[in-house]
Amino acid sequence: MVQAVMTIAAEDDALGARGRSRLLRSPQFSSFVILIVLLAVFAVADANFLSPLNISNMMAFLPELGIIALGMTLLLTAGEFDLSVGAVFGLAPVVVMLLVQNGGVDIGVALLAGLMLCIAIGAINGLIVTKIGISSFLVTLSMLLVVRGAALYITQGFPLKSWDQPGFFVTLLAGSFNIGSFRFYTSLWWFIGLSLFAIYILRYAKLGNWISAIGSNRNAAVARGVPADSVKIWLFIATSVLAGLAGMISAFRISAASPVAGTGYELEVIAMVVVGGTALTGGRGTILGTIVGALMLRAIRNGIVLIGVPGLAYNIFVGLIILAMLILHALLQKNAARG
Amino acid sequence: MMQEVLRLQNLQKSFGSVRALKNASLTLREGEVVALLGDNGAGKSTLIKAISGVFPVDRGDIYVRGEKVSIRSTRDAMDLGIETIHQDTSLAPDLSIARNLFLGREPVNFGWLGVFAPLDLAKLRKAASALLKRVGISKKLDADALVSTLSGGERQSIAISRAMQFAAKVIILDEPTNNLGVEETHGVLRFVKEVRDAGHSVLLITHNIHHVFQVADRIIVMRRGEIVAEQTVADTDLLTVESIITGADMSALLKEARAK
Ligand SMILES: Nc1ncnc2c1ncn2[C@@H]1O[C@H](COP(=O)(O)OP(=O)(O)O)[C@@H](O)[C@H]1O
Ligand SMILES: [Mg+2]
Repeated sequence: MVQAVMTIAAEDDALGARGRSRLLRSPQFSSFVILIVLLAVFAVADANFLSPLNISNMMAFLPELGIIALGMTLLLTAGEFDLSVGAVFGLAPVVVMLLVQNGGVDIGVALLAGLMLCIAIGAINGLIVTKIGISSFLVTLSMLLVVRGAALYITQGFPLKSWDQPGFFVTLLAGSFNIGSFRFYTSLWWFIGLSLFAIYILRYAKLGNWISAIGSNRNAAVARGVPADSVKIWLFIATSVLAGLAGMISAFRISAASPVAGTGYELEVIAMVVVGGTALTGGRGTILGTIVGALMLRAIRNGIVLIGVPGLAYNIFVGLIILAMLILHALLQKNAARG
Repeated sequence: MMQEVLRLQNLQKSFGSVRALKNASLTLREGEVVALLGDNGAGKSTLIKAISGVFPVDRGDIYVRGEKVSIRSTRDAMDLGIETIHQDTSLAPDLSIARNLFLGREPVNFGWLGVFAPLDLAKLRKAASALLKRVGISKKLDADALVSTLSGGERQSIAISRAMQFAAKVIILDEPTNNLGVEETHGVLRFVKEVRDAGHSVLLITHNIHHVFQVADRIIVMRRGEIVAEQTVADTDLLTVESIITGADMSALLKEARAK
C-alpha cells in the first residue's frame, strides 16, 4: 500500500527527490500515516481488532460507503457535492424489491428500473445546479428529503424482505468467499475495481483534467472550451448511481431493504472524502486519500467500540478525530503554499 | 497594407438596460498590436468577450479573414484561431503548468475513448517544456509545478504562451498587466512584442497609456460602449489620447505641451 501510494503520487511529479518531498507533504500521505498509527493503536489496545472475524466484518461494510465516496470525491473535485446519496442508498433497493414482490417484475428488469431511477435523480440534481444555478447544498438537501420521503411513503415505513434466492445478481453484488479464515464479499471487488477506475479517471484521463480544472477555476475551464455543465451533470449521475449500487449491495447482503437504510451516510461519506485530503472547495481531489479516509472511518468506528468506549460517547471521538485530520490538512496546505 | 485578420461590424450588446456595446466596429490586421483603451466600464471586456465566445452579441457581424463567422462558444473562437486571456485569470491554480497549457486540447492516446482517453503525459510534459523554453522562461519554471505556486507575472506569461502555442491568428489580452509589479509588467510587454514578431495579431486591452506607447502600432479608444477614436501611434501623443479617453477638454493642456 505504501508502495502504491508512492508510485502513483510520484508518476505525476518529476521523479526524484523533489517528487518525493512533495509526496511526503501531500494530504493523502499524511492521512495514510495517521491511518497506520490508528490501526496500530487499536491493535495494541485490543487483540481482537486484527482477528480474521473483525477484519472480515470491517471489509464487509467498507465497500458500501467506500463506493459512494468514490463518486463523491470526483464531484467534490469538480466543486459540487451531493447530500442525497444516503437517501438514494435507501430508495433504490426499496423500489427494486417492491417491483419484484408486488409487481411481479423480473429481478433483472427491476434492477434496470432502479438504475434508471438513480440516473434520473442524479440528472435532476445536476440540471438544477448547473442550469438554474442553485448551490448543490440546497438542491441536494431538498432531494434528500424528497427521496427519503418517497422511500418511506411507498413502503409505509416498513422494511421489505429482500431478494434472498441465490442467483446471478445476488452472487454478483453480495456473494461471499473465504480466503483462509477471512470471509470476503464480492462487493470488495466492486470497490477495488471502481477505485482503480476512479484513480485512472482523475489522474490519467482527459476527463480528470477537466474535473480538476472545473473545480479549480470554472471560468478558466469554460474559456478553454471545457463543457463544465455537462461534466458536472454526469458526475451527479455517477454519484447517484454509485449510491444506488451500494444500496443494492447492502440490501442483498443483509436480505432486507429498509426505507431508512443509509440515513446519515451523506455526512459519513463526505467526512471520508475530506479526511482523505480532497478539498471541499474543489480543484484538489485524491482517490487514494478517499480510500484511506474510508478505511480510517471504518477502523475508527469499529476500533472505538472494541476498546470499550461507551456506545453513546463514540461520536465524540469520531468527530474529534475528523476535526484533527482537517486541521492537519489545513496546516499542511498553508505550509505548501508558503514553501 | 497588411491583410485584414479580424473585422467587427456594428456589434451591439446590452445587459438589461445597460448598453455595454452600442455600435462597435474595428479591424485588426496581420502582425499588428492594436491597443483598446478606455475608462472602466467603457465596454472593452464586453467587446472581447463577444469575440471570444463567452456570450453572443445582440446584433452585428464578425469576419475572420474576410469571411463572416458565427461565434457561439469559446470553442468556436478557439477553432477560428482567436485565443483570449481574460482579465480574471484564465488558469486553473490547482493544475500543473503543463496541464494548464493544454487544458481543453489535451494530447491523448486512444482518442476514440473520448473523455476517458488517457492523457499522453510524456508528450504533454515534453511539449510544455519546449514551449516554456521557446518563450524564455524555462530556466525558472518547471512544467510540473502547480500554477498556484507562480507569481502573477509568471501566470500571465503562461497564459500568453498558451495562446501562442496553437498558432492563434489573434491573441486578445484583457488588462494583462493589472496587479503586476514593474519588472513583471515589462516582462509581459516584451512578451507582447515577441508575439507580434512571431506573426500573431494582438488586441491589447489596458487603461495604462504608457504601456500602449511602448508596444502598440494602433490605438482604438472606447467610451460608453462606442469607439470614439482610432489612430496610429506614430501620429499621436500621450496627451491627445488621454483627452479622448476621458472626453475632457484638454486643449489648453495640449497647447501648453506643444508650446514647449
Ligand atoms: N455580465 C454583465 N452583466 C451586467 N452588466 C455588465 C456585465 N458585464 C459588463 N456589464 C456592464 O457593461 C458595461 C461595460 O463593462 P466592461 O465591458 O466590463 O467595461 P471595461 O472592461 O471597459 O471596464 C459596464 O457598465 C458594466 O457594468
Ligand atoms: Mg474590463
